[in-house]
Amino acid sequence: MIDEDIAEHTLDRAAAQDVPVLMEVKLESSRKSALSIKSGLVHSVSSFTDEGMYVRVVMDEGIGFASANRISKQTGADLARRATRLAKSGKRRERVKLSSEKAATAKWSVAQRQKLADVSNDDRLRYLKSLDSEMMSARVKVQGRYFETVDSETHGYFASSDGARVRSMVPRLMMSCLNTVSSKGETEQSIREWGATGGWEKTVEWAAGAALAEEVRVLKELIDKGKPVKSGEYDLICGPEVAGIAAHESCGHPMEADRILGREMSQAGKSFVSPKMLGDRIGSKQATVIDDPTVPGSYGYYEYDDEGVKARPRFLYKKGIINEFLHNRETAGKLRLKSNASSRSSVYGKEPIVRMANTFVAPGDLGEDEMVRSVKNGVLMKSFTEWNIDDKRYNQKYTSREAYFIRDGELAGPARGCVLEITTPRFWGSMDGVSRKVELTAAECGKGDPMQGIAVHTGGPMLRLRGVHLK
Amino acid sequence: MSRLKEAASELVDVALEEGAKDAVAEVFDSSVDQIRYSNSMVDISNHSRAVHAHVLVAVGGRTMASDVRDLRKGAETVRLIVKHARASPVNEDYGGIASGKFKYRRSQLDKRILSLRNPANYVLDAIDGAVSTGAPDVGGTFFVRDSKWGIASSKGALAEDANASMDLSVRAFTQPEASGHAVLVATNLDKMRARETGARAAELAIAAKNPVSGEEGRFDLVMEPFFLGGIVGATGGMASGLAVELGMSMFAKRIGKRVASDAVTLVDDPMRRSMSRRMFDHEGKPAKRNVVISNGVLKTYLHNTSTAKRMKAKSTASTGPLVASQFSMPSEPMMFHPVLEAGDLKVEELVEDVRDGLYINNTWYTRFQNYSTGDFSTIPRDAVLRIRNGEIVGAVKNVRVSDNLMRFWKGIDAMSKSSEEIYWWDEAAPPAHLPAARARKMKVTRSS
Repeated sequence: MIDEDIAEHTLDRAAAQDVPVLMEVKLESSRKSALSIKSGLVHSVSSFTDEGMYVRVVMDEGIGFASANRISKQTGADLARRATRLAKSGKRRERVKLSSEKAATAKWSVAQRQKLADVSNDDRLRYLKSLDSEMMSARVKVQGRYFETVDSETHGYFASSDGARVRSMVPRLMMSCLNTVSSKGETEQSIREWGATGGWEKTVEWAAGAALAEEVRVLKELIDKGKPVKSGEYDLICGPEVAGIAAHESCGHPMEADRILGREMSQAGKSFVSPKMLGDRIGSKQATVIDDPTVPGSYGYYEYDDEGVKARPRFLYKKGIINEFLHNRETAGKLRLKSNASSRSSVYGKEPIVRMANTFVAPGDLGEDEMVRSVKNGVLMKSFTEWNIDDKRYNQKYTSREAYFIRDGELAGPARGCVLEITTPRFWGSMDGVSRKVELTAAECGKGDPMQGIAVHTGGPMLRLRGVHLK
Repeated sequence: MSRLKEAASELVDVALEEGAKDAVAEVFDSSVDQIRYSNSMVDISNHSRAVHAHVLVAVGGRTMASDVRDLRKGAETVRLIVKHARASPVNEDYGGIASGKFKYRRSQLDKRILSLRNPANYVLDAIDGAVSTGAPDVGGTFFVRDSKWGIASSKGALAEDANASMDLSVRAFTQPEASGHAVLVATNLDKMRARETGARAAELAIAAKNPVSGEEGRFDLVMEPFFLGGIVGATGGMASGLAVELGMSMFAKRIGKRVASDAVTLVDDPMRRSMSRRMFDHEGKPAKRNVVISNGVLKTYLHNTSTAKRMKAKSTASTGPLVASQFSMPSEPMMFHPVLEAGDLKVEELVEDVRDGLYINNTWYTRFQNYSTGDFSTIPRDAVLRIRNGEIVGAVKNVRVSDNLMRFWKGIDAMSKSSEEIYWWDEAAPPAHLPAARARKMKVTRSS
């Protein structure tokens, strides 16, 4: 268990030595276990426990951050001293301004019906082997067949000099797999991930085995019967997985205020969005994208962020309007706004920065069949393989994994390697229909330097885009 | 015996006492100081230190890898790891660890790097270099890395190593859509040229002014070493024996076959003085220089002991970290320091022989549609300059290289004679020594 007095001691000692604008102390203790299988055989088994702490100091001259993989009063005092010295070394021309926030005192955790701590490696192996077996029941030739499960429990204690005190316990688990389907000398690949906060019971809720059996059947059919899309204008229906990646890449990222203000300029880049674009139209009235850390059981779930601010849903694009950026206290302070609790650190050794949580397109009122029936000449892109987007988040590419031609309102066979290469306003501006059912896909989002991979969900319902160019 | 080697040896002894058949322990003591800056100002100064050990044990075919984060409880934790290994399922993929009477080369480091008093001055110099050259908006990172590590194994490994390096990244903007990016890696304090690196980024940003939307089609590409960093990283990943087994490599069944043009020789040279220099792999096997592609022909996959055994080959001393990281599986064979052998042309000569092409500073977001075929795309960023009839005639934006990785390497027809060490973020990674290169007739696409 974490000794919370160490955080208090660190804050007290530091307060006696110097007067920062803000000092934050985070103590963290975690356990993580992982097991992987390859072609049905155990490939690796690992497990470890970890504990450490960081101190972040904000001074007029800059910000300092120091961490160590040890929790003790002496370590806290050393880190506070070092972080203070680093903050002063910034020599900033402009003072750091933080938004003023209510200092929270809270304790939160995620419930587990089957505790991850009680799961054995035999349980993990049985689970992965059952997935492999169910997938192979499809009787499709699959090479590689790599499955991995990782589960962790992380206890945290956050304390700040302005009075916030937040205790947390987050159990998180994920399963990822990569499979290469071959037929007639050709291959198609699938990399999939499921993730959640909660206990081992989530592995049953995912029903991943059945999904993978269907996936490999579809990929074989794609090789055997798929045809390329002739370059031209089509109506496109994006499945929830494609809606999710678009929500994440061309809404979530460009709406991160640290990027907008330039802080990520030499890594993940800036944004096509500028502060003065709040209120501008970016898409059709159908385009509402929400980032919500509070979705129960979601992979990106949290109740308080790493600055002790209470989490809430953020409506990034609302009915096609640029509505709200993702903020931490620094970016909110700079724009004279309030933080919306987007500050996250992947581990105690890395500074908290502005991050997404669970980003998805809001549901509409159409049925899925109704959407297909409404298309005369088009494509249904259910999922994607290769994707990328430029560093201002304006030009993106999604290449289909599972896709079908639509002719006269009916599915008309598999489409192979369909490419949507489109600008952000064109994507969101072409939307004229949204289905009712939202589905989420787990992912690890990378950002920051040093790189921080962080758990997120992406998703949405089915989206109908009219008259877009496919190739 | 020195401290880290001794600590590793003690952990191995505990594992053997507990009944482990094989054991490897690698103890790390590393600290990283980083300054992040943007808008021509320092944003934050970070310091992190971690002392910990990676441990792999095998008991009766059952394995367990762990990161021992608190070395004060090292012996207690290793006992627990062996206990957990006994309770784990048999690892059918495990093929043992490197065994032998190993001799190790000694490495050198510039200790002056470890006693830098005001690293922020390098950042201020870089900003000043860019601003005074004409780019007013500058951002980047400056790292000082101090790493020491010792290894011991039950099969004869016992060694210690250390490295010290600095890496500077400068991205400079002259307009919202006109930027240049330059990096500098130094393992010798005398080679740190912060101001010049800033000025180089600014020169590129000036050349990139007033970009127009690029055209689709097939173009010759002249690529800076920075651009090649990410492409070489992806290519090196596919040389791993594990990637081949998993169907994640375009190199499967291609040993001895042509996978690139004659101009391409790709080597993993871990012992070369660099940011990623190391004298042994993570099983403790002495590092060696591995020629992966020789004049366009694939010579070998990279192996650890297990992949070598499964694929009936010899270990190439390429075992990666024993515990999974964000970008690698446990013990995954990997390139430590790729070197693309230089050619004999000046960079200007690479450009002169291009009738219709692009000169590209950097790229990011390299992603594959299918790793086994090598179909991929990547997004050029920073200065993307139009070449017509051997001359740079302006700047373009919004383009993407969408092609096939093996076709890319087969399309390379020349390299520059100059090369440099490149590392940036996790895109141009791992650190590599690279020249500039020219690829013919690559497919360029854009949004519609």
